[in-house]
Amino acid sequence: MGYKVNIEFLQAHLPALLRGALVSIQIGFFGSLIGILGGTFVGILQTTKSKIIKFFIVAYVNIVRGTPMLIQIGLVHYVFFPLLEINSSAFVSAVTAIGLNSIAYISEVIRSGIQSVDKGQIEAAQTLGLSRIQTNLHIVLPQAIRNVIPALGNELITLIKDSSLASTIGVYELLKEGSIVISRTYDALSVYLMVGIIYLIITSSLSLVMTILERKTKLKC
Amino acid sequence: MLKIENISKTYGEKKVLNKLSLDLKRGEVAVLMGASGTGKTTLLRILNSLEKADCGSVFLDNKKLDLEKINRTHTIGIVFQSFNLFKNMNVTKNITISLEKTLNYTQQKATEIAQTLLKKYGLENHKDHFISELSGGQKQRLAIARTIALKPKVVCLDEPTSALDPMLTTHVAKTIEGLAKEGYHIIVSTHDTHLIEQLDCTIYLMENGKIIEAIPSQEISTNNTKYSKIKRFIAGSLEEKV
Repeated sequence: MGYKVNIEFLQAHLPALLRGALVSIQIGFFGSLIGILGGTFVGILQTTKSKIIKFFIVAYVNIVRGTPMLIQIGLVHYVFFPLLEINSSAFVSAVTAIGLNSIAYISEVIRSGIQSVDKGQIEAAQTLGLSRIQTNLHIVLPQAIRNVIPALGNELITLIKDSSLASTIGVYELLKEGSIVISRTYDALSVYLMVGIIYLIITSSLSLVMTILERKTKLKC
Repeated sequence: MLKIENISKTYGEKKVLNKLSLDLKRGEVAVLMGASGTGKTTLLRILNSLEKADCGSVFLDNKKLDLEKINRTHTIGIVFQSFNLFKNMNVTKNITISLEKTLNYTQQKATEIAQTLLKKYGLENHKDHFISELSGGQKQRLAIARTIALKPKVVCLDEPTSALDPMLTTHVAKTIEGLAKEGYHIIVSTHDTHLIEQLDCTIYLMENGKIIEAIPSQEISTNNTKYSKIKRFIAGSLEEKV
């Protein structure tokens, strides 16, 4: 008893799955964008001396890391947006929740990257008269980001996979499209196999990009 | 004339600098010697606003310097012991970054200044190299070029030979003398007796955060018993090396 690939089944359902994959990639892209920009900002804020700022950031990171993303997506879509009278689509809610979640994780990655930069680099910039912002922008961040590219890659891959949770609020992403196909064909094995392979292709491509990026930045330092 | 007056610094209960005073004319080299922990590096860090003195003042040509804002005025510069060159930038950018960002020079003008300095320090063939591609001596020359690009009045060098091959000591001494001839006030912190032997300078022996003796470098090899402490310290250092 072996598993046989059914080409006709593939041809019939692959377009729907690819449509879902595109939505997953969009969630991943916009979620990463929010995560990287917000996470970098929060990561820098974490290195300030202000205890109040640090307290709020630590609280935010702990809440996000300590609760399932499924709950966060539900809270954003069914509680926060309605409370703020924001009429958003499920897609926007999912991107917002995943982005906010990503900010917490990426800020920790950036913070560790910033702290790994030699203190002497900052002192040299200071003695040359560069401002704090200039030092962060031109000296610290480029070195910190280079140091954290592998960890950042892991976060982005996790984010792509977590985009499947958007299906719970009705976003027609890859897993949701897969579930629809299963409900029509009752062939869970074939569909999950196809969905898994598509996820693997997306995450492997991302891994490749991160590896190239790591190699390119390494050459310069 | 640079006048350092009664600088004190305490870490916890340890008094690292104890009312230290020092005068230095333009074009002169002051060498701070002493065992580890006597406050040599701390003084250089205070002069460059990396540490805050508990009390004391610094005057340049009778004008009191605001040490907290000293970096913005580029009056004093420092060449660090481990150089602290920017790892994410190439040789030229290490010099131009401060010119562009703090003096608002155009990229072209900053690059012209960098090229002149790189030529002066024999680094013109390395202008596009990254720091990891330079030797210790090249890194030090670049660190000096980066500091003097901002035209400070005072240049501090913290242990300038400690990270280098001993063969380069003569070259470092010549570079320091060259800076002095250009009119910079030079303050060097060092343990390296071979460097001192090759410098025309005033040596200040530090102990417990104070200068306990000062001697012109020409006096080291004389039989004058007046400067016994410094001579003993130098003799001790040489014995350790042997």
